[in-house]
Amino acid sequence: MISGNRSSGPAVLIENLDKYYGTFQALRKVSLSVDRGERIVVCGPSGSGKSTMIRCINRLEQHNGGRITVLGTELNDDVGNIDGIRREVGMVFQHFNLFPHMTVLENCMLAPMIVRKVPRADAEATARRYLEKVRIPEQAMKYPGQLSGGQQQRVAIARALCMQPEIMLFDEPTSALDPEMIAEVLDVIVTLASEGMTMICVTHEMGFARRVADRVIFMDGGEIVEQAPPDEFFTFSRNERTRQFLSQVLGH
Amino acid sequence: MVSLLRNQKVRNALLQVLYVGSIAAMVLAGIAIARQNLAAQGITSGFDFLFKSTGWDLNFSLLPATANDPYWWYFLIGIINTLFLGTVGLTLATIVGTIVGLARTSSNELARLLGRTYVDIFRNIPLILQVFFWYAVITHLPTPRAAHEGWGFLLTSRGLYIPFPNVSSAALAAATLAVIAAIALPIWLGRTSRLSLPVGQRGGIQLACAAAALACAAVVLVAGRLADLPLLDFPALQGLNLRGGLRIPPEFATLAIAIAIYGGSYIAEIVRGGFKAVGKGQVEAALSLGLGPWRVFMLVRLPLALRAMLPILANQYVWLMKATTMGIAVGFTDFFMIVALTINHSGQTIEAIGILMAGFLAINLSLAAIFNRINKAIALKGNQLRG
Ligand SMILES: Nc1ncnc2c1ncn2[C@@H]1O[C@H](COP(=O)(O)OP(=O)(O)OP(=O)(O)O)[C@@H](O)[C@H]1O
Ligand SMILES: [Mg+2]
Repeated sequence: MISGNRSSGPAVLIENLDKYYGTFQALRKVSLSVDRGERIVVCGPSGSGKSTMIRCINRLEQHNGGRITVLGTELNDDVGNIDGIRREVGMVFQHFNLFPHMTVLENCMLAPMIVRKVPRADAEATARRYLEKVRIPEQAMKYPGQLSGGQQQRVAIARALCMQPEIMLFDEPTSALDPEMIAEVLDVIVTLASEGMTMICVTHEMGFARRVADRVIFMDGGEIVEQAPPDEFFTFSRNERTRQFLSQVLGH
Repeated sequence: MVSLLRNQKVRNALLQVLYVGSIAAMVLAGIAIARQNLAAQGITSGFDFLFKSTGWDLNFSLLPATANDPYWWYFLIGIINTLFLGTVGLTLATIVGTIVGLARTSSNELARLLGRTYVDIFRNIPLILQVFFWYAVITHLPTPRAAHEGWGFLLTSRGLYIPFPNVSSAALAAATLAVIAAIALPIWLGRTSRLSLPVGQRGGIQLACAAAALACAAVVLVAGRLADLPLLDFPALQGLNLRGGLRIPPEFATLAIAIAIYGGSYIAEIVRGGFKAVGKGQVEAALSLGLGPWRVFMLVRLPLALRAMLPILANQYVWLMKATTMGIAVGFTDFFMIVALTINHSGQTIEAIGILMAGFLAINLSLAAIFNRINKAIALKGNQLRG
């Protein structure tokens, strides 16, 4: 079992991670250490393995080689370890993935009540608090299909937060959104970052990376090509592939 | 005048009038011809025959029936028999279909292969052949004296004998109603807006109601037991015959099995399709929140799959309801067979067929209406869904 705050060491430790889809190698010897409270932004061209990497951290994908240690617990075939890690790691998806047959409130209360065995009244209070935090308290009784994309994504963030996770993973949280809704979602994530949440965020929003990231990771071809604090990353990038990528996302 | 004909509204109205008019003309002509023919054969038309006694017996009836009973009573028995066979057949088909359908979506290769084989075989053999096959199997079971026996059940060529409570039929009916209430009441309590309690907190009342209804059923059964007899009546051999217990005749068993197995193969495909329609994203979100596989299935996959399945399932049910008319192939007195016998004995062809059509229309329209309501009640709200 994980005892989040007490165990020492990095929040996430990835060592020599290999991942294959059939014979195709999606991750090659990826190593990454994320400290508690650290904010990581991952970027890179399409198909470079960004999603694969962060999905390995909560075992939505099973890795084939190397080690992943989350909050001191190794992620292996032990079901107890997997459950324990998923409890402490929240995830936000590109397409929100809300449960369409439950109200916003029910979406937020489900996992705390079942997984953490929180009493209903407490779960509801927590859910309402986080809905307030993502600035949609008035939508609690609506269904996901009745909300805009930006609102849905904020519900998804609140849903993950209701589990009180130690670490949050974001996989392109704004790339399915219309431009005018991107800011409202990013604002919520920025607030979260400023409160010291450990987070790994895959995104191409470079302004956001500059504002919140402690470190920017650039991936290509299943490898981490370069990592640096944002100032350094955006101005003094040495790597040819990074510069090319940056000129594409920043250019115009 | 010409310009009037160019007007779209006028044109549409004119077409409607022509269409309805020609259909009405055809129907009227048909009735006139039929009346003439019947009169020529000396058959009086009309529904007076409904009140004459039939003069023939039924081999299966849930209600008391003798040859002295009038036709309308037989029709009622026929509808009840059809509904009974339909309910049993559809329930079994749904169970079979769910199991096979889940096997087809499982990650186990052998289960998938078995499921696929099942569907391929039973979906592609005509129902009538399957009915004959099961009838042959059942009628070739051993005689009562050499019956297969287990847990008080007896399997013979004269049907399946099962232990049955020794209670009065009134008590039995009351107990059945109580069991239905035990299922229906909690559902109603969960949905009604008359209760001030929030929907999520009604679990206690729902459970209490179900328990109370079941307790009522038990009390009624015990109170209504026949004097001086054990509560459960076990079938047993007496001389050459089996006595006691409840006998499920081979004809009914044949049809129930055939509908269960044939219908199950279609329902399996619907179940599989329903589960395939569930977004991978919702399942991943549930997993990432730490929900276990069973919870993901019960709280996310099943509810979403049900919503995808229900409209198609309703069609399938309506269609399987009509398949109960296979009763005539093995001599089970369902509604269709009773109508056929009526035509033979009374000669009131048109009236009887009218009643048949009205009966099936009523059954199937009610079924469709029920499903429409359920569909509406559980439909996903909003139109902004993605992923
Ligand atoms: N389930 C899968 N089966 C086979 N190949 C896969 C699967 N998922 C991903 N891949 C492959 O693995 C590689 C990495 O995919 P991944 O989704 O991690 O890329 P990404 O960096 O997230 O890209 P994007 O920016 O488009 O989301 C890609 O080449 C992709 O085709
Ligand atoms: Mg991706």
